[in-house]
Amino acid sequence: MLSEAFLQSLRTLRLNAPRRRIGTLTGERRSMKRGRSVEFADYRNYTPGDDPRRVDWNIYARLERPYIKLFEDEEDLTTHILLDDSPSMFWQPEDGPDAGHLAQKWMCAAQLAVVLGYITLASGDKIVLETSSFQRFGPKRGVASAAALIAFVERVSATDKRNLRSPNPGGRPSLNAWLKRYALDARPGLCILISDMLDEGGYAEGFNALGNSRLDVNLLHTLSPDELDPQFTGDLRLKDVETTHLQDMSLDDAVINQYRQRLVAWSEEIAANVRRRGGRYHLTDTSLSLEEIVLKDLRRAEWLI
Amino acid sequence: MNLLNPLAFLFALLAVPIVLLYLLRLQRREQSVSSTLLWRQVTMDREANMLWQRLRRNLLLFLQLATLAFFIFALARPYVNLPGAVSGRSIVLLDASASMQATDVKPSRFEAARAHVRNAINSLGVNDRMTLIVVDGAPRALSTLTGDKSQLFDALESARPSLDAADWSAAIALAVATGAGNDDTTTLVVSDGANADDLRLLTGKARFIPIGSSGDNIAISTLTLRRTVRGLSAFVRVTNHGARDDRVLVSLRADGALVDARTLDVPAGKSAEWTIGNINPNVTHVYAEIDEAKHNALDLDDVAHAINATNTTRRALLLTRGNRFLEQALATLPGLRVTRAVTAPLGVQNYDLYVLDSMTMPLPAQANALLIGAQSVFTTSEVFSNTAYVRTESHPIARNVDWRNVNVLDARRVNAPDWLRPVIESQGGPLVLAGESPDEALQRVVVIPFDLRRSDLPLQIAFPILIANSVEWLAPAQGLNVPLSVKPGEVMPMPENTRVTLPSGEEVIAGRRGFAQTNQVGVYAFDTGRAQGAFAVNFNNTSESRIAPNPDLQVGNADATSAQPAAVPTSQREFWHWLAVLALILLIVEWWIYQQGVPTFQRKA
Repeated sequence: MLSEAFLQSLRTLRLNAPRRRIGTLTGERRSMKRGRSVEFADYRNYTPGDDPRRVDWNIYARLERPYIKLFEDEEDLTTHILLDDSPSMFWQPEDGPDAGHLAQKWMCAAQLAVVLGYITLASGDKIVLETSSFQRFGPKRGVASAAALIAFVERVSATDKRNLRSPNPGGRPSLNAWLKRYALDARPGLCILISDMLDEGGYAEGFNALGNSRLDVNLLHTLSPDELDPQFTGDLRLKDVETTHLQDMSLDDAVINQYRQRLVAWSEEIAANVRRRGGRYHLTDTSLSLEEIVLKDLRRAEWLI
Repeated sequence: MNLLNPLAFLFALLAVPIVLLYLLRLQRREQSVSSTLLWRQVTMDREANMLWQRLRRNLLLFLQLATLAFFIFALARPYVNLPGAVSGRSIVLLDASASMQATDVKPSRFEAARAHVRNAINSLGVNDRMTLIVVDGAPRALSTLTGDKSQLFDALESARPSLDAADWSAAIALAVATGAGNDDTTTLVVSDGANADDLRLLTGKARFIPIGSSGDNIAISTLTLRRTVRGLSAFVRVTNHGARDDRVLVSLRADGALVDARTLDVPAGKSAEWTIGNINPNVTHVYAEIDEAKHNALDLDDVAHAINATNTTRRALLLTRGNRFLEQALATLPGLRVTRAVTAPLGVQNYDLYVLDSMTMPLPAQANALLIGAQSVFTTSEVFSNTAYVRTESHPIARNVDWRNVNVLDARRVNAPDWLRPVIESQGGPLVLAGESPDEALQRVVVIPFDLRRSDLPLQIAFPILIANSVEWLAPAQGLNVPLSVKPGEVMPMPENTRVTLPSGEEVIAGRRGFAQTNQVGVYAFDTGRAQGAFAVNFNNTSESRIAPNPDLQVGNADATSAQPAAVPTSQREFWHWLAVLALILLIVEWWIYQQGVPTFQRKA
């Protein structure tokens, strides 16, 4: 799925987690708790019962009052990668050049999930990866789990491709339902949602549930070129691959332009929602190469450091 | 508005298959998309202008139905009743006389008349019929009682103005023969009214459309040449047929080279003369032309041509024992060199003319001979003395010859062949005979079967005229007895197969009845094989040069002019062709919109 050289280049990268979440093991991430690491955090007044070893004697000599020196407590980070594998992620134009192969859009999303998971594992952090069809990987820690991660994603790809041939719209959970259910037993940490967000029920409730579970929601919004800039015109009956809903449209340049404007407004609305919750939003054109997305776009957007 | 073919609306049923085909064509192609979420929002955004969207979507259907509607409407042949020039049965007399070529109405009177007739044809209703008669020197019907407008238009376009005067009597006879005078027939006269007084003889309903606005015209009415001792002299007369005085510039050219030009003041209704002398006598063709005039609407009469035949010399042999009168009469004729002999010359020498005065000699083949008194060419039977004048036949040699005072003591009765006809007859027998021989021995012969000395003819004024006429007929100046100047349309007596070069340069072979294509003004050259020469066709038509229009002309039994129409006729005017054009335009627009690609079902490249 990924070349060895590309994986090597990922070892130097870290996920940028602006907000600190408590973990259970000592990790390489700063915790919200003040602790015993070497990185100074703050002072506070000494109170009886405090460990006398943590009194800053230099301050006491100058001020003649005891202050306790506080340090950042470094803890591990749990990265939750939520990969949307709804049928819309597998959609591609029927008469497009890649017809018959796995959709470019899904391939891009799956590879991004692997890349972000690999970076997490290489950082010594804990990873949990779950798809919207409730297939879960992890929690796992350590680079040794990278191969299992890749195998998991490949298995999901194969399974979903089979399932696409017999779509069952009623049996799939909505985006909100999936996120709410995931938030029930998720530990606090960094949450990266990789999805096209094309869901009839919206996303707000799911985002709320994740936020309540102290998960920082970051959204990698993956859209294919045919969704960003549709290339079909004429009198068409559009069929939703998820809901099988039919929509009659007479497409001409004016309608396509209106669609583009609608798409921009919609994506900006999602981005604003995510940022309001302290998360990050990045819109990804899935026709771009993985290297360009990861090494250039995500670094520039400070997703990776 | 009414319909001639309302059953055509049954074709409206064709709209059903069009709508069905359109609905079938609107079967949309299914296209899977990742989600219709955004597309539905787009649809909602467009709800505001949904009506236009629907209209636009169905634009092609509307255009197709509109095209069908226009076609059906056209097939139903709608018409409206409009006032027209004529209705019912009509006969149009289109004046094509020479005066109709005047340009006081632009581009010309004839074209203006043609435009009026065109309007009349256009205004013909469905059941209207028209006969189109063009009136010139020989009126003829170009189309007879037809409602076929294309045929009438073709006939109208084929009409050409002539150089003749209009023969209105013949035109009226022709119109009556085609129905003029009947109650249901209207005669429409389109003319300038000049020289058309005969039109009052027209019977039945008639309307007159006057053409022309001015009678201003300057013409060269005369151009003659005369041989003088100092060369050639030309006489030009310029006539002002209009009502305004004018000053005209006239030029005279000889064989194409300008000889002289003169400005002449020509009062209204008067003429001005100009004599030009000292012209090289060897020129063959002289013409005068009006180069500049202020009030001159007709170009035809602005030029006159004259052929100089005074420089040709004819040779005559006079065999006589002495006849002073005859010798003097021959000697005064211009261009005739007379050789007098008392006996027949020994050598064989061809003369243009042999004059045998009571003497005889063997004549060569194709000889022209004037035989006076006793002769041996034709046998004579008796001598008669009852020579009282009876009559003169129409013949060139008898032109202007007054025989009434001529006394002849006695004459011989000639046993003349059939071709030798009496020209002047007396009670006892012919006194002058002339004819053209069909055999090779002789060509033209004039016989005066009495001795001049036994009559007082040489003392009469008729004598030099008769001799001059006879010489001119027997040995014409150009070797062929044709007039030097004729009017357009006249038939020139010419031998069969004579090659004639028209003024336009075209070469024509004369037929058995002579040469008749004298419908161009100018100089015609001819070549009979034995003789070459030229003649001129000059307009020279005083009546047609008087081009003053007569808008108040009485046509028929009532003053029915266009200014006071008795009753405005109405005609059924169809307009289906405009509907057909509209339908065609709609069809093209529909095709263009379809090509511009509202419904393309393929992905863009």
